[in-house]
Amino acid sequence: MVRFDRVSKRYSSGKEALSGVSFELEHGEMAFLTGHSGAGKSTLLKLMMRMEVPTRGEVVVDGSNLSRLREGLVPYHRRKVGVVFQNHQLLFDRSVFENVALPLLIAGTSLKETGRRVRAALDKVGLLGKEKLNPIQLSGGEQQRIGIARAVVNKPALLIADEPTGNLDPELSAEIMNLFSHFQQVGVTVLIATHDIALVERMNKRRLILQNGQMIAGQDFNSGAAHA
Amino acid sequence: MPEKTTTQHGASAATLGAGEKFSAYFRNHQMVAVESLAKLLSTPASSLLTWLVIAIALTLPGALYMAVNNLQQLSGHFEASGQMTVFLATDIRETDTNALRLKLGSLDQVNKVVYVSPEQALEEFKEYGGISEALSFLDENPLPAVLLVEPPLGIDKDELNVLVAQIKSFKHVDSVQVDMAWVERLLALLALAQRLVAVVGVLLALAIMLVVGNTIRLSIAARTEEIRVIKLVGGTNAYVRRPFLYTGFWYGAIGGILAWLMLGLCWILLQGPVADIAALYGADFYLQPLPFTPTCWLISSAALLGLLGSWWSVQRHLVAIEP
Repeated sequence: MVRFDRVSKRYSSGKEALSGVSFELEHGEMAFLTGHSGAGKSTLLKLMMRMEVPTRGEVVVDGSNLSRLREGLVPYHRRKVGVVFQNHQLLFDRSVFENVALPLLIAGTSLKETGRRVRAALDKVGLLGKEKLNPIQLSGGEQQRIGIARAVVNKPALLIADEPTGNLDPELSAEIMNLFSHFQQVGVTVLIATHDIALVERMNKRRLILQNGQMIAGQDFNSGAAHA
Repeated sequence: MPEKTTTQHGASAATLGAGEKFSAYFRNHQMVAVESLAKLLSTPASSLLTWLVIAIALTLPGALYMAVNNLQQLSGHFEASGQMTVFLATDIRETDTNALRLKLGSLDQVNKVVYVSPEQALEEFKEYGGISEALSFLDENPLPAVLLVEPPLGIDKDELNVLVAQIKSFKHVDSVQVDMAWVERLLALLALAQRLVAVVGVLLALAIMLVVGNTIRLSIAARTEEIRVIKLVGGTNAYVRRPFLYTGFWYGAIGGILAWLMLGLCWILLQGPVADIAALYGADFYLQPLPFTPTCWLISSAALLGLLGSWWSVQRHLVAIEP
Protein backbone atom coordinates (compact mmCIF):
# COMPACT_ATOMS: atom_id res chain seq x y z
CA MET A 1 0.00 0.00 0.00
CA VAL A 2 2.81 2.36 0.91
CA ARG A 3 6.44 2.01 -0.07
CA PHE A 4 9.29 4.37 0.79
CA ASP A 5 12.52 3.58 -1.07
CA ARG A 6 15.65 5.36 0.30
CA VAL A 7 13.73 8.58 0.66
CA SER A 8 15.57 11.77 1.64
CA LYS A 9 14.02 15.17 2.07
CA ARG A 10 16.07 18.31 2.36
CA TYR A 11 14.20 21.59 2.82
CA SER A 12 15.32 24.74 1.09
CA SER A 13 16.55 25.96 4.49
CA GLY A 14 19.18 23.21 4.21
CA LYS A 15 17.74 21.07 6.99
CA GLU A 16 17.64 17.41 6.11
CA ALA A 17 14.35 16.18 7.59
CA LEU A 18 14.60 12.61 6.32
CA SER A 19 17.62 10.67 5.12
CA GLY A 20 17.49 7.31 3.37
CA VAL A 21 14.19 6.16 4.82
CA SER A 22 12.85 2.85 3.47
CA PHE A 23 9.82 0.91 4.64
CA GLU A 24 6.64 -0.70 3.41
CA LEU A 25 3.12 -0.84 4.75
CA GLU A 26 1.03 -3.80 3.72
CA HIS A 27 -2.53 -3.36 2.66
CA GLY A 28 -4.85 -3.34 5.65
CA GLU A 29 -2.00 -2.91 8.12
CA MET A 30 -2.03 -0.52 11.08
CA ALA A 31 1.24 0.98 12.27
CA PHE A 32 2.50 3.78 14.51
CA LEU A 33 5.16 6.27 13.62
CA THR A 34 7.04 7.55 16.65
CA GLY A 35 10.10 9.63 17.38
CA HIS A 36 11.14 12.81 19.14
CA SER A 37 9.76 16.07 17.85
CA GLY A 38 11.67 17.17 14.79
CA ALA A 39 12.55 13.57 13.95
CA GLY A 40 10.75 13.86 10.62
CA LYS A 41 7.31 12.34 11.37
CA SER A 42 5.33 15.18 9.83
CA THR A 43 7.61 15.31 6.80
CA LEU A 44 7.06 11.60 6.22
CA LEU A 45 3.28 12.01 6.33
CA LYS A 46 3.44 15.09 4.08
CA LEU A 47 5.36 13.07 1.51
CA MET A 48 2.54 10.51 1.51
CA MET A 49 0.01 13.29 0.86
CA ARG A 50 2.24 14.75 -1.83
CA MET A 51 2.34 17.99 0.17
CA GLU A 52 6.09 17.65 -0.19
CA VAL A 53 8.23 15.98 -2.85
CA PRO A 54 11.26 13.88 -1.87
CA THR A 55 14.70 15.23 -2.70
CA ARG A 56 15.91 11.68 -3.41
CA GLY A 57 14.25 8.28 -3.48
CA GLU A 58 10.73 7.15 -4.29
CA VAL A 59 7.42 7.29 -2.47
CA VAL A 60 4.80 4.91 -3.85
CA VAL A 61 1.27 5.06 -2.49
CA ASP A 62 -1.48 2.77 -3.77
CA GLY A 63 0.56 1.92 -6.83
CA SER A 64 1.38 5.44 -7.95
CA ASN A 65 4.86 6.92 -7.73
CA LEU A 66 4.25 10.33 -6.17
CA SER A 67 7.48 11.88 -7.52
CA ARG A 68 6.26 11.26 -11.04
CA LEU A 69 2.66 12.29 -10.36
CA ARG A 70 1.56 15.15 -12.59
CA GLU A 71 0.61 18.30 -10.66
CA GLY A 72 -2.93 18.09 -12.01
CA LEU A 73 -3.40 14.58 -10.62
CA VAL A 74 -2.32 15.42 -7.06
CA PRO A 75 -5.90 16.23 -5.93
CA TYR A 76 -7.08 12.84 -7.16
CA HIS A 77 -4.31 11.16 -5.19
CA ARG A 78 -5.36 13.06 -2.05
CA ARG A 79 -8.93 11.84 -2.45
CA LYS A 80 -7.65 8.31 -1.92
CA VAL A 81 -5.93 9.20 1.34
CA GLY A 82 -7.83 10.17 4.47
CA VAL A 83 -5.91 12.48 6.74
CA VAL A 84 -6.41 13.56 10.35
CA PHE A 85 -4.55 16.41 12.01
CA GLN A 86 -3.82 17.38 15.56
CA ASN A 87 -5.43 20.78 15.00
CA HIS A 88 -8.42 19.16 13.23
CA GLN A 89 -8.37 21.58 10.25
CA LEU A 90 -12.11 22.04 10.49
CA LEU A 91 -14.04 24.93 8.97
CA PHE A 92 -15.96 26.85 11.59
CA ASP A 93 -18.19 28.72 9.18
CA ARG A 94 -20.26 25.62 8.48
CA SER A 95 -21.99 22.77 10.25
CA VAL A 96 -20.55 19.42 11.32
CA PHE A 97 -22.44 17.81 8.44
CA GLU A 98 -20.96 20.20 5.88
CA ASN A 99 -17.45 19.69 7.26
CA VAL A 100 -17.69 15.94 6.90
CA ALA A 101 -19.40 16.22 3.49
CA LEU A 102 -16.58 18.37 2.03
CA PRO A 103 -14.55 15.52 0.40
CA LEU A 104 -17.74 14.12 -1.16
CA LEU A 105 -18.80 17.52 -2.40
CA ILE A 106 -15.40 17.91 -4.05
CA ALA A 107 -15.55 14.44 -5.58
CA GLY A 108 -19.01 15.20 -7.00
CA THR A 109 -20.93 12.52 -5.12
CA SER A 110 -24.71 12.79 -5.50
CA LEU A 111 -26.57 14.58 -2.72
CA LYS A 112 -28.48 11.47 -1.69
CA GLU A 113 -25.33 9.37 -1.49
CA THR A 114 -23.54 12.19 0.34
CA GLY A 115 -26.21 12.34 3.03
CA ARG A 116 -26.09 8.59 3.47
CA ARG A 117 -22.30 8.42 3.73
CA VAL A 118 -21.92 11.44 6.00
CA ARG A 119 -24.42 10.00 8.44
CA ALA A 120 -22.68 6.61 8.28
CA ALA A 121 -19.33 8.27 9.04
CA LEU A 122 -20.77 10.36 11.86
CA ASP A 123 -22.44 7.26 13.24
CA LYS A 124 -19.07 5.46 13.28
CA VAL A 125 -17.46 8.22 15.33
CA GLY A 126 -20.53 8.58 17.58
CA LEU A 127 -21.62 12.08 16.52
CA LEU A 128 -24.78 11.27 14.61
CA GLY A 129 -27.01 13.57 16.67
CA LYS A 130 -24.73 16.58 16.25
CA GLU A 131 -24.59 16.99 12.49
CA LYS A 132 -26.39 20.34 12.47
CA LEU A 133 -24.17 21.97 15.11
CA ASN A 134 -21.19 24.15 14.41
CA PRO A 135 -17.89 22.39 15.27
CA ILE A 136 -17.03 25.27 17.59
CA GLN A 137 -19.84 24.16 19.91
CA LEU A 138 -18.21 20.75 20.39
CA SER A 139 -15.39 19.61 22.69
CA GLY A 140 -11.81 18.95 21.54
CA GLY A 141 -12.38 15.20 21.46
CA GLU A 142 -15.56 15.61 19.45
CA GLN A 143 -13.84 17.98 17.04
CA GLN A 144 -11.14 15.39 16.50
CA ARG A 145 -13.82 12.83 15.73
CA ILE A 146 -15.35 15.19 13.14
CA GLY A 147 -11.91 15.27 11.55
CA ILE A 148 -11.80 11.47 11.55
CA ALA A 149 -15.30 11.23 10.07
CA ARG A 150 -14.21 13.62 7.29
CA ALA A 151 -11.09 11.52 6.67
CA VAL A 152 -13.03 8.29 6.24
CA VAL A 153 -16.22 9.53 4.58
CA ASN A 154 -14.74 8.97 1.13
CA LYS A 155 -13.82 5.37 2.06
CA PRO A 156 -10.10 5.89 1.51
CA ALA A 157 -7.77 2.93 1.22
CA LEU A 158 -5.21 4.70 3.40
CA LEU A 159 -5.79 6.69 6.57
CA ILE A 160 -2.97 8.74 8.05
CA ALA A 161 -3.06 10.77 11.25
CA ASP A 162 -0.61 13.34 12.60
CA GLU A 163 -0.71 13.43 16.42
CA PRO A 164 -4.47 12.77 16.50
CA THR A 165 -4.49 12.58 20.31
CA GLY A 166 -2.09 15.45 20.88
CA ASN A 167 -4.44 17.62 22.92
CA LEU A 168 -6.63 14.94 24.45
CA ASP A 169 -6.64 13.29 27.86
CA PRO A 170 -5.68 9.58 28.09
CA GLU A 171 -9.24 8.34 28.14
CA LEU A 172 -10.28 10.25 25.01
CA SER A 173 -6.99 9.26 23.35
CA ALA A 174 -7.74 5.59 23.91
CA GLU A 175 -11.20 6.08 22.39
CA ILE A 176 -9.74 7.72 19.31
CA MET A 177 -7.18 4.94 18.92
CA ASN A 178 -9.93 2.33 19.17
CA LEU A 179 -11.73 4.12 16.37
CA PHE A 180 -8.64 3.82 14.20
CA SER A 181 -8.30 0.11 14.86
CA HIS A 182 -11.96 -0.31 13.88
CA PHE A 183 -11.11 1.15 10.51
CA GLN A 184 -8.18 -1.23 10.20
CA GLN A 185 -10.56 -4.11 10.86
CA VAL A 186 -12.64 -3.14 7.81
CA GLY A 187 -9.55 -3.18 5.59
CA VAL A 188 -8.17 0.36 5.74
CA THR A 189 -4.41 0.81 5.96
CA VAL A 190 -3.69 3.08 8.95
CA LEU A 191 -0.54 5.02 9.85
CA ILE A 192 -0.55 7.18 12.98
CA ALA A 193 2.24 9.54 13.97
CA THR A 194 2.32 10.08 17.72
CA HIS A 195 4.66 10.57 20.63
CA ASP A 196 2.26 8.97 23.12
CA ILE A 197 4.48 5.94 23.77
CA ALA A 198 2.32 4.48 26.50
CA LEU A 199 -0.67 4.39 24.22
CA VAL A 200 1.34 2.84 21.38
CA GLU A 201 2.58 0.10 23.65
CA ARG A 202 -0.94 -0.74 24.78
CA MET A 203 -2.17 -0.99 21.17
CA ASN A 204 0.42 -3.67 20.39
CA LYS A 205 0.92 -2.74 16.72
CA ARG A 206 3.95 -2.35 14.51
CA ARG A 207 6.09 0.68 15.39
CA LEU A 208 8.17 2.72 12.96
CA ILE A 209 10.67 4.81 14.89
CA LEU A 210 12.35 7.90 13.46
CA GLN A 211 15.42 9.52 14.97
CA ASN A 212 17.03 12.57 13.40
CA GLY A 213 15.46 11.77 10.05
CA GLN A 214 16.54 8.13 9.99
CA MET A 215 14.35 5.13 10.59
CA ILE A 216 15.96 3.21 13.42
CA ALA A 217 13.32 0.53 14.00
CA GLY A 218 10.29 -1.08 12.43
CA GLN A 219 11.33 -0.63 8.79
CA ASP A 220 11.20 -4.39 8.15
CA PHE A 221 7.83 -5.94 8.28
CA ASN A 222 8.90 -8.66 10.72
CA SER A 223 11.35 -6.78 12.90
CA GLY A 224 8.82 -4.42 14.41
CA ALA A 225 6.98 -4.79 17.65
CA ALA A 226 4.94 -7.92 18.16
CA HIS A 227 2.19 -8.22 15.63
CA ALA A 228 -1.44 -8.55 16.60
CA MET B 1 2.69 -5.75 -3.62
CA PRO B 2 0.88 -2.46 -3.61
CA GLU B 3 -0.20 -2.76 -7.26
CA LYS B 4 -2.24 -5.85 -6.50
CA THR B 5 -3.89 -4.52 -3.42
CA THR B 6 -5.24 -1.36 -4.99
CA THR B 7 -8.10 -3.06 -6.73
CA GLN B 8 -9.45 -4.60 -3.60
CA HIS B 9 -10.51 -1.59 -1.69
CA GLY B 10 -11.37 2.04 -1.80
CA ALA B 11 -12.13 2.24 -5.49
CA SER B 12 -15.81 2.83 -4.85
CA ALA B 13 -15.30 6.43 -3.82
CA ALA B 14 -13.20 7.56 -6.73
CA THR B 15 -14.88 5.83 -9.63
CA LEU B 16 -17.76 7.65 -11.25
CA GLY B 17 -19.13 7.04 -14.72
CA ALA B 18 -18.56 9.65 -17.43
CA GLY B 19 -22.20 10.70 -17.43
CA GLU B 20 -22.30 10.89 -13.67
CA LYS B 21 -19.08 12.91 -13.69
CA PHE B 22 -20.52 15.38 -16.14
CA SER B 23 -23.75 15.83 -14.24
CA ALA B 24 -21.79 16.19 -10.98
CA TYR B 25 -19.63 18.85 -12.67
CA PHE B 26 -22.69 20.65 -13.98
CA ARG B 27 -24.40 20.45 -10.61
CA ASN B 28 -21.33 21.88 -8.93
CA HIS B 29 -21.27 24.82 -11.37
CA GLN B 30 -24.93 25.48 -10.74
CA MET B 31 -24.50 25.26 -6.99
CA VAL B 32 -21.42 27.48 -6.92
CA ALA B 33 -23.12 30.05 -9.17
CA VAL B 34 -26.09 30.30 -6.84
CA GLU B 35 -24.02 30.14 -3.67
CA SER B 36 -21.60 32.86 -4.73
CA LEU B 37 -24.50 35.16 -5.62
CA ALA B 38 -26.19 34.37 -2.30
CA LYS B 39 -22.94 35.14 -0.51
CA LEU B 40 -22.72 38.54 -2.21
CA LEU B 41 -26.33 39.27 -1.32
CA SER B 42 -25.75 38.26 2.29
CA THR B 43 -23.36 41.22 2.68
CA PRO B 44 -25.46 43.78 0.76
CA ALA B 45 -23.66 46.90 1.96
CA SER B 46 -20.15 45.97 0.84
CA SER B 47 -21.37 44.23 -2.32
CA LEU B 48 -23.45 47.22 -3.31
CA LEU B 49 -20.40 49.45 -2.93
CA THR B 50 -18.46 47.35 -5.43
CA TRP B 51 -21.47 47.15 -7.74
CA LEU B 52 -21.90 50.92 -7.68
CA VAL B 53 -18.22 51.53 -8.44
CA ILE B 54 -18.51 49.22 -11.45
CA ALA B 55 -21.84 50.75 -12.51
CA ILE B 56 -20.50 54.31 -12.38
CA ALA B 57 -17.36 53.30 -14.25
CA LEU B 58 -19.58 51.86 -16.98
CA THR B 59 -22.15 54.67 -17.01
CA LEU B 60 -19.57 57.25 -18.01
CA PRO B 61 -18.55 55.71 -21.36
CA GLY B 62 -22.13 54.48 -21.77
CA ALA B 63 -23.52 58.00 -21.54
CA LEU B 64 -20.88 59.30 -23.93
CA TYR B 65 -21.79 56.55 -26.33
CA MET B 66 -25.45 57.43 -26.04
CA ALA B 67 -24.70 61.10 -26.77
CA VAL B 68 -22.57 60.31 -29.80
CA ASN B 69 -25.16 57.87 -31.06
CA ASN B 70 -27.88 60.51 -30.86
CA LEU B 71 -25.79 63.21 -32.52
CA GLN B 72 -24.98 60.80 -35.31
CA GLN B 73 -28.64 60.26 -35.97
CA LEU B 74 -29.20 63.99 -35.93
CA SER B 75 -26.45 64.59 -38.48
CA GLY B 76 -27.85 61.77 -40.59
CA HIS B 77 -30.90 63.93 -41.37
CA PHE B 78 -28.72 66.54 -43.03
CA GLU B 79 -26.00 64.40 -44.46
CA ALA B 80 -28.20 62.99 -47.18
CA SER B 81 -29.43 66.35 -48.46
CA GLY B 82 -26.31 68.33 -49.41
CA GLN B 83 -28.53 71.38 -49.81
CA MET B 84 -26.83 74.64 -50.68
CA THR B 85 -27.72 78.25 -50.25
CA VAL B 86 -26.94 80.60 -53.14
CA PHE B 87 -26.69 84.21 -51.95
CA LEU B 88 -27.48 86.69 -54.69
CA ALA B 89 -25.89 90.09 -55.14
CA THR B 90 -27.90 92.81 -53.31
CA ASP B 91 -28.26 94.96 -56.44
CA ILE B 92 -29.81 92.22 -58.55
CA ARG B 93 -32.94 93.01 -60.51
CA GLU B 94 -35.99 90.83 -60.52
CA THR B 95 -35.68 89.76 -64.17
CA ASP B 96 -32.11 88.63 -63.55
CA THR B 97 -33.25 86.70 -60.51
CA ASN B 98 -35.87 84.86 -62.51
CA ALA B 99 -33.40 84.09 -65.29
CA LEU B 100 -30.88 82.77 -62.81
CA ARG B 101 -33.54 80.68 -61.13
CA LEU B 102 -34.48 79.06 -64.45
CA LYS B 103 -30.84 78.56 -65.40
CA LEU B 104 -30.12 76.78 -62.11
CA GLY B 105 -33.26 74.70 -62.46
CA SER B 106 -32.14 73.45 -65.85
CA LEU B 107 -28.86 72.05 -64.56
CA ASP B 108 -28.56 68.25 -64.48
CA GLN B 109 -27.44 68.10 -60.90
CA VAL B 110 -30.21 70.26 -59.52
CA ASN B 111 -33.49 68.83 -58.39
CA LYS B 112 -35.25 71.86 -57.09
CA VAL B 113 -34.72 75.58 -56.73
CA VAL B 114 -36.61 77.63 -54.18
CA TYR B 115 -36.51 81.42 -54.23
CA VAL B 116 -36.47 83.21 -50.88
CA SER B 117 -36.92 86.97 -51.19
CA PRO B 118 -35.22 89.31 -48.66
CA GLU B 119 -38.65 90.02 -47.16
CA GLN B 120 -39.42 86.33 -46.71
CA ALA B 121 -36.01 85.75 -45.22
CA LEU B 122 -36.64 88.53 -42.73
CA GLU B 123 -40.00 87.09 -41.73
CA GLU B 124 -38.44 83.66 -41.23
CA PHE B 125 -35.64 85.19 -39.28
CA LYS B 126 -38.04 86.95 -36.96
CA GLU B 127 -39.62 83.64 -36.01
CA TYR B 128 -36.42 82.50 -34.33
CA GLY B 129 -36.52 83.42 -30.71
CA GLY B 130 -34.86 86.56 -29.40
CA ILE B 131 -33.80 88.16 -32.65
CA SER B 132 -36.94 89.96 -33.79
CA GLU B 133 -36.47 92.83 -31.36
CA ALA B 134 -32.94 93.43 -32.54
CA LEU B 135 -34.14 93.41 -36.15
CA SER B 136 -36.72 96.10 -35.49
CA PHE B 137 -33.93 98.56 -34.82
CA LEU B 138 -32.62 98.25 -38.36
CA ASP B 139 -33.68 100.82 -40.93
CA GLU B 140 -33.60 98.55 -43.89
CA ASN B 141 -33.56 94.84 -44.56
CA PRO B 142 -29.93 93.66 -44.48
CA LEU B 143 -30.70 90.23 -45.89
CA PRO B 144 -29.92 89.32 -49.49
CA ALA B 145 -32.18 87.33 -51.75
CA VAL B 146 -31.45 83.66 -51.64
CA LEU B 147 -31.92 80.65 -53.88
CA LEU B 148 -32.09 77.33 -52.09
CA VAL B 149 -30.67 74.72 -54.43
CA GLU B 150 -31.26 71.08 -53.78
CA PRO B 151 -29.08 68.55 -55.59
CA PRO B 152 -30.33 64.97 -56.01
CA LEU B 153 -30.09 62.73 -52.95
CA GLY B 154 -26.86 60.79 -52.67
CA ILE B 155 -24.77 63.18 -54.80
CA ASP B 156 -21.12 62.52 -54.16
CA LYS B 157 -18.67 65.04 -52.86
CA ASP B 158 -16.74 65.63 -56.12
CA GLU B 159 -19.89 66.19 -58.14
CA LEU B 160 -21.09 68.57 -55.46
CA ASN B 161 -17.86 70.55 -55.63
CA VAL B 162 -18.11 70.82 -59.43
CA LEU B 163 -21.68 72.04 -59.07
CA VAL B 164 -20.69 74.64 -56.48
CA ALA B 165 -17.87 75.94 -58.69
CA GLN B 166 -20.26 76.14 -61.62
CA ILE B 167 -22.87 78.12 -59.71
CA LYS B 168 -20.23 80.43 -58.26
CA SER B 169 -19.15 81.34 -61.81
CA PHE B 170 -22.63 82.60 -62.69
CA LYS B 171 -23.27 86.33 -62.87
CA HIS B 172 -25.05 87.95 -59.90
CA VAL B 173 -24.09 85.13 -57.58
CA ASP B 174 -22.46 86.54 -54.50
CA SER B 175 -21.55 83.35 -52.68
CA VAL B 176 -22.54 79.73 -52.30
CA GLN B 177 -22.72 78.03 -48.99
CA VAL B 178 -22.96 74.28 -48.90
CA ASP B 179 -24.76 73.11 -45.81
CA MET B 180 -22.55 70.01 -45.97
CA ALA B 181 -19.69 71.99 -44.47
CA TRP B 182 -21.07 72.07 -40.96
CA VAL B 183 -22.27 68.47 -41.27
CA GLU B 184 -18.73 67.47 -42.14
CA ARG B 185 -17.38 69.37 -39.18
CA LEU B 186 -19.95 67.72 -36.94
CA LEU B 187 -19.02 64.31 -38.30
CA ALA B 188 -15.34 64.98 -37.66
CA LEU B 189 -16.18 65.99 -34.09
CA LEU B 190 -18.29 62.89 -33.71
CA ALA B 191 -15.39 60.72 -34.88
CA LEU B 192 -13.28 62.37 -32.22
CA ALA B 193 -15.97 61.77 -29.63
CA GLN B 194 -16.19 58.14 -30.69
CA ARG B 195 -12.46 57.80 -30.18
CA LEU B 196 -12.88 59.42 -26.79
CA VAL B 197 -15.57 56.88 -25.87
CA ALA B 198 -13.18 54.08 -26.84
CA VAL B 199 -10.27 55.51 -24.81
CA VAL B 200 -12.39 56.24 -21.75
CA GLY B 201 -14.01 52.83 -22.14
CA VAL B 202 -10.69 50.99 -22.18
CA LEU B 203 -9.38 52.91 -19.17
CA LEU B 204 -12.52 52.29 -17.15
CA ALA B 205 -12.58 48.63 -18.23
CA LEU B 206 -9.10 48.33 -16.71
CA ALA B 207 -10.36 50.09 -13.60
CA ILE B 208 -13.22 47.60 -13.30
CA MET B 209 -10.83 44.68 -13.62
CA LEU B 210 -8.62 46.15 -10.90
CA VAL B 211 -11.58 46.80 -8.59
CA VAL B 212 -12.93 43.27 -9.00
CA GLY B 213 -9.43 41.78 -8.80
CA ASN B 214 -8.73 43.58 -5.56
CA THR B 215 -12.08 42.63 -4.03
CA ILE B 216 -11.44 39.01 -4.95
CA ARG B 217 -7.93 39.22 -3.50
CA LEU B 218 -9.42 40.26 -0.17
CA SER B 219 -11.95 37.46 -0.18
CA ILE B 220 -9.20 34.96 -1.04
CA ALA B 221 -7.20 36.24 1.93
CA ALA B 222 -10.27 35.85 4.16
CA ARG B 223 -10.75 32.25 3.03
CA THR B 224 -7.14 31.03 3.07
CA GLU B 225 -7.88 28.40 5.71
CA GLU B 226 -10.82 27.04 3.78
CA ILE B 227 -8.79 26.87 0.57
CA ARG B 228 -6.03 24.98 2.37
CA VAL B 229 -8.46 22.41 3.76
CA ILE B 230 -10.18 21.97 0.39
CA LYS B 231 -6.84 21.33 -1.31
CA LEU B 232 -5.93 18.92 1.46
CA VAL B 233 -8.97 16.74 0.94
CA GLY B 234 -8.45 16.64 -2.81
CA GLY B 235 -10.00 19.79 -4.24
CA THR B 236 -8.55 20.61 -7.67
CA ASN B 237 -7.36 24.12 -8.55
CA ALA B 238 -10.42 24.47 -10.77
CA TYR B 239 -12.68 23.57 -7.86
CA VAL B 240 -11.03 26.10 -5.57
CA ARG B 241 -11.08 28.75 -8.29
CA ARG B 242 -14.71 28.33 -9.27
CA PRO B 243 -16.49 30.25 -6.47
CA PHE B 244 -14.14 33.22 -6.92
CA LEU B 245 -14.67 33.29 -10.68
CA TYR B 246 -18.42 33.22 -10.22
CA THR B 247 -18.16 35.97 -7.63
CA GLY B 248 -16.24 38.10 -10.15
CA PHE B 249 -18.83 37.30 -12.79
CA TRP B 250 -21.67 38.45 -10.51
CA TYR B 251 -19.82 41.62 -9.58
CA GLY B 252 -19.49 42.46 -13.27
CA ALA B 253 -22.92 41.33 -14.45
CA ILE B 254 -24.90 43.08 -11.73
CA GLY B 255 -22.67 46.16 -12.01
CA GLY B 256 -23.51 46.14 -15.73
CA ILE B 257 -27.24 45.93 -15.05
CA LEU B 258 -26.96 48.80 -12.57
CA ALA B 259 -25.09 50.83 -15.19
CA TRP B 260 -27.90 50.16 -17.64
CA LEU B 261 -30.44 51.38 -15.08
CA MET B 262 -28.35 54.51 -14.47
CA LEU B 263 -28.23 55.20 -18.21
CA GLY B 264 -31.98 54.74 -18.30
CA LEU B 265 -32.31 57.28 -15.53
CA CYS B 266 -30.09 59.73 -17.44
CA TRP B 267 -32.32 59.21 -20.47
CA ILE B 268 -35.48 59.91 -18.49
CA LEU B 269 -33.96 63.04 -16.97
CA LEU B 270 -32.57 64.41 -20.24
CA GLN B 271 -35.39 63.44 -22.59
CA GLY B 272 -37.63 66.40 -21.64
CA PRO B 273 -35.00 69.15 -21.91
CA VAL B 274 -33.70 67.72 -25.22
CA ALA B 275 -37.22 67.64 -26.66
CA ASP B 276 -37.67 71.29 -25.60
CA ILE B 277 -34.47 72.34 -27.34
CA ALA B 278 -35.42 70.38 -30.45
CA ALA B 279 -38.82 72.11 -30.48
CA LEU B 280 -37.12 75.51 -30.27
CA TYR B 281 -35.10 74.67 -33.37
CA GLY B 282 -38.16 73.22 -35.06
CA ALA B 283 -36.36 69.89 -35.38
CA ASP B 284 -38.12 66.57 -35.41
CA PHE B 285 -35.76 64.97 -32.92
CA TYR B 286 -36.01 63.19 -29.62
CA LEU B 287 -33.37 61.54 -27.42
CA GLN B 288 -32.94 57.83 -28.14
CA PRO B 289 -32.35 55.48 -25.22
CA LEU B 290 -29.45 53.00 -25.40
CA PRO B 291 -30.49 50.54 -28.14
CA PHE B 292 -30.91 46.83 -27.43
CA THR B 293 -27.66 45.53 -28.93
CA PRO B 294 -25.37 47.99 -27.13
CA THR B 295 -27.26 47.20 -23.93
CA CYS B 296 -26.46 43.52 -24.37
CA TRP B 297 -22.85 44.47 -25.07
CA LEU B 298 -22.72 46.64 -21.98
CA ILE B 299 -23.97 43.96 -19.62
CA SER B 300 -22.08 41.04 -21.13
CA SER B 301 -18.79 42.93 -21.33
CA ALA B 302 -19.26 43.99 -17.70
CA ALA B 303 -19.72 40.33 -16.73
CA LEU B 304 -16.67 39.40 -18.79
CA LEU B 305 -14.57 42.14 -17.15
CA GLY B 306 -15.60 40.90 -13.71
CA LEU B 307 -14.64 37.38 -14.72
CA LEU B 308 -11.26 38.53 -16.12
CA GLY B 309 -10.54 40.63 -13.03
CA SER B 310 -11.19 37.72 -10.72
CA TRP B 311 -9.24 35.37 -12.97
CA TRP B 312 -6.25 37.67 -12.85
CA SER B 313 -6.48 37.88 -9.07
CA VAL B 314 -7.03 34.15 -8.60
CA GLN B 315 -4.05 33.29 -10.79
CA ARG B 316 -1.84 35.54 -8.70
CA HIS B 317 -3.02 34.66 -5.21
CA LEU B 318 -4.72 31.28 -5.20
CA VAL B 319 -1.90 29.21 -6.61
CA ALA B 320 0.31 30.37 -3.76
CA ILE B 321 -1.93 28.75 -1.14
CA GLU B 322 -0.79 25.17 -0.65
CA PRO B 323 -1.52 22.90 2.30
